[in-house]
Amino acid sequence: MRNFYRKVAFGLKPDEKIPSDPLNWATSQITDKIPEFSFKGKIYSEEELRKHYREWVYQDRKVLRKKFKKDKMGYKAAKNLLRDNTGQKFWKNLEIAIRHKEATHGDHPVLAKLWYFWTNHFTISDKDMLADYSTGAYQREIIRANLNKTFEELAYEATIGWAMILHLDNMENVGPKSEDARAEWRKRKKRPATINENHARELLELHTVSPNSGYTQENITELALIMTGWAPDDKYHKTRLETADVKFQRKYHEPGKKIFWGKEFPKGKKGLRAAVNFLANHPSCKEFIAYKLCRYLITDYPTKKMTDPIVKAWDKSGGYLPEVHKATIEVAFKFNNQYQKFQNPENWWLQMSRMTDAKWPPKDERFDTYRLGGGPDPYQAKPSWFMEDMGHHPYLSKQPNGYSDLAEDWMSPELIIRRLIYARKGYINLKAENKNNEFFEEVVNKNFDNPDTILNLLKQNDKTIDRHILLFNLPEVFRA
Amino acid sequence: MKITRRNFLKGSLATLFLAGSGIPVYSSTKTKKNLVVIMLRGGMDALCAVPVIGDKNFEKRRKQLILDNTIKLNSDFALHPVLEGFNELWKEKKGTIVHATNIPYTERSHFDGQNLMESGGKIPYKVKTGWLGRGMKAAGLKQEGLALALPMPLILRGVPKNNNYFPTKGKLPTDKVLSLLKDVYKEKSEDELIGMLEIIKSRPKERSYAADDLYSLANEAGTLMREPDGPRVAVFEVGGFDTHAAQGGVHGTHSDCLKDMDLIFATLKKRLKEEFDNTLIVTLTEFGRTIKQNSGLGTEHGYGSAIFMGGGLLKQSQVYTDWPGLKNKELFQGRDLNSTIDSRSVYASAMSTVFDIDFNTIKEKVFWGEDLQNLSDKLFKA
Repeated sequence: MRNFYRKVAFGLKPDEKIPSDPLNWATSQITDKIPEFSFKGKIYSEEELRKHYREWVYQDRKVLRKKFKKDKMGYKAAKNLLRDNTGQKFWKNLEIAIRHKEATHGDHPVLAKLWYFWTNHFTISDKDMLADYSTGAYQREIIRANLNKTFEELAYEATIGWAMILHLDNMENVGPKSEDARAEWRKRKKRPATINENHARELLELHTVSPNSGYTQENITELALIMTGWAPDDKYHKTRLETADVKFQRKYHEPGKKIFWGKEFPKGKKGLRAAVNFLANHPSCKEFIAYKLCRYLITDYPTKKMTDPIVKAWDKSGGYLPEVHKATIEVAFKFNNQYQKFQNPENWWLQMSRMTDAKWPPKDERFDTYRLGGGPDPYQAKPSWFMEDMGHHPYLSKQPNGYSDLAEDWMSPELIIRRLIYARKGYINLKAENKNNEFFEEVVNKNFDNPDTILNLLKQNDKTIDRHILLFNLPEVFRA
Repeated sequence: MKITRRNFLKGSLATLFLAGSGIPVYSSTKTKKNLVVIMLRGGMDALCAVPVIGDKNFEKRRKQLILDNTIKLNSDFALHPVLEGFNELWKEKKGTIVHATNIPYTERSHFDGQNLMESGGKIPYKVKTGWLGRGMKAAGLKQEGLALALPMPLILRGVPKNNNYFPTKGKLPTDKVLSLLKDVYKEKSEDELIGMLEIIKSRPKERSYAADDLYSLANEAGTLMREPDGPRVAVFEVGGFDTHAAQGGVHGTHSDCLKDMDLIFATLKKRLKEEFDNTLIVTLTEFGRTIKQNSGLGTEHGYGSAIFMGGGLLKQSQVYTDWPGLKNKELFQGRDLNSTIDSRSVYASAMSTVFDIDFNTIKEKVFWGEDLQNLSDKLFKA
């Protein structure tokens, strides 16, 4: 039963009491109000960070490239200075620290684990400089902030978020009969306006109904037409470029009524909201999300018995996420002893850090010492570096489908080498007073159902560091 | 554009006749032969990489994406100018392109498509092994696969104990800890983990910093594959081909990706030295892209693409194609370059040649006896 605390969260901290009612311990963390962050250092708004992004793209694209057109080395030096002046290497470290503190020291680790699920579901993959300035903030302000709403509200906000619109090219999605299509420059430059299918396709495939729903190429085109017009305000502005807030702009929107999947949708701004609502309430969407939630927490290949109660909770609550989440946790509890779920590298690292009360992430105040004009110091730089090296950086997924939830995709000699090496780093993160064998007895007793077997094994090593490495590479820890 | 479908079919009939007397590729040689697969993720635009020459249907749909300074390959096709390494192979008769080809998948999803290009199947996520892994198994090759990536790609799965290389810095545990772990894994029947620990035990205990860029990875792969007891199969990944916007012409995102691919060809040639003559490199992608550019100067998901091949096991330099044409009615669903060759025929023939096993065995054991064409005599040296 103890694996349940690791399955739906990250295990129990040394100072945490063993809950008398594990299910209630978990579901009570899913509240109608989203709790404040545990991170108490300075947190920057997405809008504020986007200003740095703006400075970066404007200066680089419009100033430096021209100024240093014939001076490669000069351009490189000026660009590096610009990186420091806009905090390019710092923000993602700060964001990961905020993210990780929820798991390692927060009072709502169950919610944290679900937050990570949704950030992967609505992946912003490694594109342009989004990871450096915006993805972390998007995951905070758009994803986490909407986990107490319905799925359709979350999906809508996720869709029109600035980072997502840029990520999936909807700013290039222009109605062929729109006002902009008739612009004089288009004729002059021989650039007729066309739709861009990318975002519409992924909204269907990855974010809502999945290919199981049987949509067609025609449906993708229809949805793309509905999505025309959603772009950064005045995207060709001389200094703001593409960094203004996303809003609906009629001049790019395809006029007229829209038929999508055999149904008529409102023209104009309301079309997208109606389309997202339609998709969010499609049976395939509920089944797809329920399956993915079970795959993330319970087993690689969930059964209908697992997904049915989640779909039922969805139907009953109108897709209200706290209810959907509670139903998922209940299913995880019910099947806890039958299925153990392989933990991805980030969740594995975070359970190690929480169970051992390790100094992870680096202290909040350490991040407050950062000043624009320089790079992060070695401690500040750890979160991003560690996650990238483990192959599981939450802002650097290679493709918009995010990271896999299947065990086999996390099994290779190099990935296991990472577990061995990072178990050592985890030991280095321990507080000095915890680097002793007695401490490990506590950790094991609290978090495992077979403490004696594990402790007997650990005792075969004299050194505490070896005990630590061994413990966190046991199959019982890889899976929960 | 002089090539037509009729011309191609004439040529094919002639070679088919010759193949009839030749019979499949059996080999008595024990020379170590290497197969390298480069996976091009995101949908490689074959019309950008290997554009047709003088086709108005193409030019009018790609006004801003037409390339200057292309390298002429023959009267019908040119090469993207950044593919300098591949061009060198072409000149040495060690470069081939199969054009207008793809896996039999037409739904245009990256992720379903990538799953199928690696599994070789027709239903996404149904097959849990890769065509290359199954091919290695059919050839009795174990512990001979090397992925130059952090995860183990699906394409290599199906044969035990494949290795991978993707450097990190740090210290491995003591032998005692590794032995204890191995005992636990044995007790719990964690066979996959046991296999990996065996591989890890042979690695240096202390790993210092090493670069993980494509050049460094290709260098490492070439060095390892050159050894007589080194891996015989290697897999690379190049991502970023999904250029819905700002695809670029000579410069731009798509050409950057092609440059990455080219770097692998060139580096492997340099590092494998004389062993390059016993090597075949092939590329793989999930689909091509639309013939028409969009208003963001990108292209959308399409169907037919191309395969780049390099190495001394190629018969000659050629653009091998059953060209479907680019008129509206010739395009797939009126928007994409069509695919007239099942790319699995090329991969099956490649495995038959490199692994020295009968084509029909590959067809049966790897591709479930599907109707694939043996192209070995057309593309590869016997």
